[in-house]
Amino acid sequence: MPLLQHLCQLLNDSSFGTMIRESDYAYSVIESVHVLAITLVFGTIAILDLRMLGLVLRPIAVTRVARAVFPLTWSGFAISFISGFLLFWAESAKMYTNPSFRVKLILLALVGLNPLIFHTTIYRRVHEWEIQHVTPWRARAAAIASLTLWSGIIIAGRAIAYF
Amino acid sequence: MSLHSWFIALGHSSLGHAMQTSKWDFALVEMVHLLALALLGGSVLVVDLRLLGIVLKGESARLIGRDLSRVLIGSLIVMILTGIALLSEEAGKCYFSPAFRWKMALLVAAVLFYFTLHRRALLHTDFGVPNLWSRAAAVVSLTLWLGIGIAGRAIGLL
Repeated sequence: MPLLQHLCQLLNDSSFGTMIRESDYAYSVIESVHVLAITLVFGTIAILDLRMLGLVLRPIAVTRVARAVFPLTWSGFAISFISGFLLFWAESAKMYTNPSFRVKLILLALVGLNPLIFHTTIYRRVHEWEIQHVTPWRARAAAIASLTLWSGIIIAGRAIAYF
Repeated sequence: MSLHSWFIALGHSSLGHAMQTSKWDFALVEMVHLLALALLGGSVLVVDLRLLGIVLKGESARLIGRDLSRVLIGSLIVMILTGIALLSEEAGKCYFSPAFRWKMALLVAAVLFYFTLHRRALLHTDFGVPNLWSRAAAVVSLTLWLGIGIAGRAIGLL
């Protein structure tokens, strides 16, 4: 058995993992919190992405929209990460082999890479274009990548249950 | 025709048949429903936080409300259409589900509130600092929309 799979099995069989899995309501409650938190992440970052595409809130500077949504997006991300880890804890043996879970992890890595590239390139000169109604193509590309990746994460996340 | 027979008819329709027999048809519709939910939730939240004076202070509440209403209404339409498809999977059962009935009642309340008092609060606030009524409208709106989500989640659990 590969080491990672072995670790997943250990986590799965731990008393805490078993407790979540076997509780009548723990798993459903955590899952509901997870979905709500993802709504917060995608719903708020989508508004910034739509602003960068010039589709909504055009008269408001990109940086103002970013400052308004980032705390919400990050809170959502923190809650979904913690609740997601708890869900993984309960089902880690199954998750190791779940193709949809693997896709979700890859997409999560990519969605993290996106702002990293964005912030070190075009966002550095954001003050030159923040009030433009239509932003530079690289900002629009980052917005489209973000919308696509987050959609993919939600789709892959929901598909986990179907494998 | 009674409301109950409409539900039964939906369950026996070709849409209902597809949802009941194809795992992936159902999954696909569910995914679209969730994506629209996220977009709706985000726009409701940002608009109501503006009404509470927490984010985008000094920017026009009227503009934010109008622009994000496109996102909100667009996602709402997608959610209602995919919702009907999801409902068709077990329409007969949902008809009697208290969670489903709550969800529909809250949905009607949220939509009515959104187009009336909530809209007035946005127009009234505009660039200004929200008054107590506007803040109350934001709290009611957040409660109603969150209630729909919780009731919706409960349909599958109860």
